[in-house]
Amino acid sequence: MTPPLRHFSFNAMGSHCEIQFFDDSRIYAKRLAKKLADEASRLENKYSRFKSDSFLSQINAQAGAKNGIEIDQETKLLFDHALTCYEQSEGLFDITSGRLSRIWNFKGGQIPDQKLIASALNNTGFEKLSWHQSKLLIPEGMEIDFGGIVKEYAADSLARLARTSGCNSGLLNLGGDFSVIGPMPEQKSWPIGITQPDSTGSIMATVNLSNGGLASSGDYERFFFFEGERYSHILNPTTGWPSKGLRAVSVASHLCTVAGSMASIAMLKSESDGIQWLTDSGLPHVYMKQDGSIGGPS
Amino acid sequence: MKAKPSRSLLAISTTALALPGIAIADAPPVNSSLSYQVSNYKEDNLTREESPFGDLGRYDIDVHQFQFISPIGRNFSLQVDANYEDLSGASPWFTTLSPSGSPIVNLSGASGIEDSRSELSVGTRYYLENGSIGGNIGYSEENDYRATYGGISAERHFNNDLTTVSISLSYSSDDIFPTDAEIFNRVISEDKSSTSAAINISQIINQVSTFQTAFSITEQSGFLTDPYKLIDTRPDNKTQIAWSNSYRRYIRGSNAAWHVNYRFYHDDFGVTSHTADMSWHQNFGNTIQVIPMLRYYNQSAADFFTNVDDFSRPATDFQSSDYRLSAFGAISAGLTIKTTVGDWDATVTGERYLANEKYSAFSVSQPSAALVRYFRVSLGLDFSF
Repeated sequence: MTPPLRHFSFNAMGSHCEIQFFDDSRIYAKRLAKKLADEASRLENKYSRFKSDSFLSQINAQAGAKNGIEIDQETKLLFDHALTCYEQSEGLFDITSGRLSRIWNFKGGQIPDQKLIASALNNTGFEKLSWHQSKLLIPEGMEIDFGGIVKEYAADSLARLARTSGCNSGLLNLGGDFSVIGPMPEQKSWPIGITQPDSTGSIMATVNLSNGGLASSGDYERFFFFEGERYSHILNPTTGWPSKGLRAVSVASHLCTVAGSMASIAMLKSESDGIQWLTDSGLPHVYMKQDGSIGGPS
Repeated sequence: MKAKPSRSLLAISTTALALPGIAIADAPPVNSSLSYQVSNYKEDNLTREESPFGDLGRYDIDVHQFQFISPIGRNFSLQVDANYEDLSGASPWFTTLSPSGSPIVNLSGASGIEDSRSELSVGTRYYLENGSIGGNIGYSEENDYRATYGGISAERHFNNDLTTVSISLSYSSDDIFPTDAEIFNRVISEDKSSTSAAINISQIINQVSTFQTAFSITEQSGFLTDPYKLIDTRPDNKTQIAWSNSYRRYIRGSNAAWHVNYRFYHDDFGVTSHTADMSWHQNFGNTIQVIPMLRYYNQSAADFFTNVDDFSRPATDFQSSDYRLSAFGAISAGLTIKTTVGDWDATVTGERYLANEKYSAFSVSQPSAALVRYFRVSLGLDFSF
């Protein structure tokens, strides 16, 4: 007999998160859910840019410090991954562009002064970081933002934790970043609906996942119109201006972290380059173009 | 040009796979643990001023504690505790006045006491959706004392697990049969019982601090007198209340935590006490923790405490010269070092305790001459498997 589906939700990393898995024991399920929520909150507390006491905020507070800041292994490996993304995207995916997102006020709907943009660009650039053994030296004025990496990493990390805790059938959703703990009973895939970026939540595609993860990136979360032009919150760190490529991308991969990095880079490229990047990757994906048309391998 | 993105995917996958949450398996859940702790508790000898005649040596106790905790299935856990104590030395027998008019102590027997105590207790817990219920039974035996006890407790989490409330009830039935009763005209056999109820509330305040408060009431009835004292008569009922509070705060920048505790105690023998302690739990990396601790204790005397036994009073009148019922203050300081190596945890603790009527926050009209000063050292080992 199939064990019942357990469903839990919690808030972490500024998102609504859901855990569902099949297990006979309600108590075990509850304990596992708590363990996973604790891990999500550990990562949020460590890497949130919006929490003044997070380790990331401590790192950012050390920008300009001559002696740098001691970085633990987990954070070092996140920087390593970010460097790979930076290199493979030819500078488009840049975690050092935190300053840039501060000057673009998407609530106010105003274009920042070009001087401000130039100054923020001056304070951006992964190659400006330097390491002295396990110490990281960040130039003054720079701000690190792990957006596009940490939530996806958390999804993978939680799935791994669930598996090592004895769960072998489940799905995690951290605010649209999915990671499969294990397939549904009888080895069935989990159907994941990808919603339309700009509408009332209708499904634009369904992806079946039996392992790995699925991540989405879109400009629909925050954007504004100014003088008839649409400005998305996906900022190109080489120009300092919002990217004008694809409007939404979802990618499936063996890891949510990989899917997230691939999707973020696709969004930062021009529309045609983004589609090419996705096609060449060979990964399952869905995208929406500026004109609202939906594409991707069927 | 076309080959590049797939190389990109490979590169991105490689660094993603190296991330700790993905690459390194988490330590398997701790299934069972086995602990052993050996401690030595040694009271300082009395001085000749405090006890002009006879033995000066007081208690020296070695304690061996074993504990085994293991989950059974998914919802049960089992805990077994076994203790063995080896006691030697002497305890105050009676008090008199010295020629100069100050109270002096006479310790029991020229060669002191040799005794041992063995204890075994077994407990289990059943974990429910929002809490757990548990129970335990135990038995303890020494030459002249036997205790059988049991307890039940229930715990429930509220408020998204931020608040935990637990209640517990326990009962103990004790038999006392003093050694050499006929020689020293002691009671042959007596008994007493003790019933206790407690409520405990824990609150997680935020990510770095917690607060806990607990209230307990204990009702003792039966033979509450010390049979080894020449003169000792106490009421055969006693009600005790205790209110304990604990605050813990993690200091992120220092990788350390403050623990601050306060306890209020009162019983209807007339003893009221206050205990305040604080400790600093300093982490060094993930493997070493150093914990300095300071404690201050203050108590008032029982209504019937006398620092000089009054042999002229009727034996039915309540009186006791037990130093534990006198008014005094005590200071203790300790240092604990904990270290983790693989599946092993080792803990070393040293503590010095000094009781003195001069440390009392209030003036003491009848200071006891038998207040205790002791050293306690212990070594503990825990193994998880």
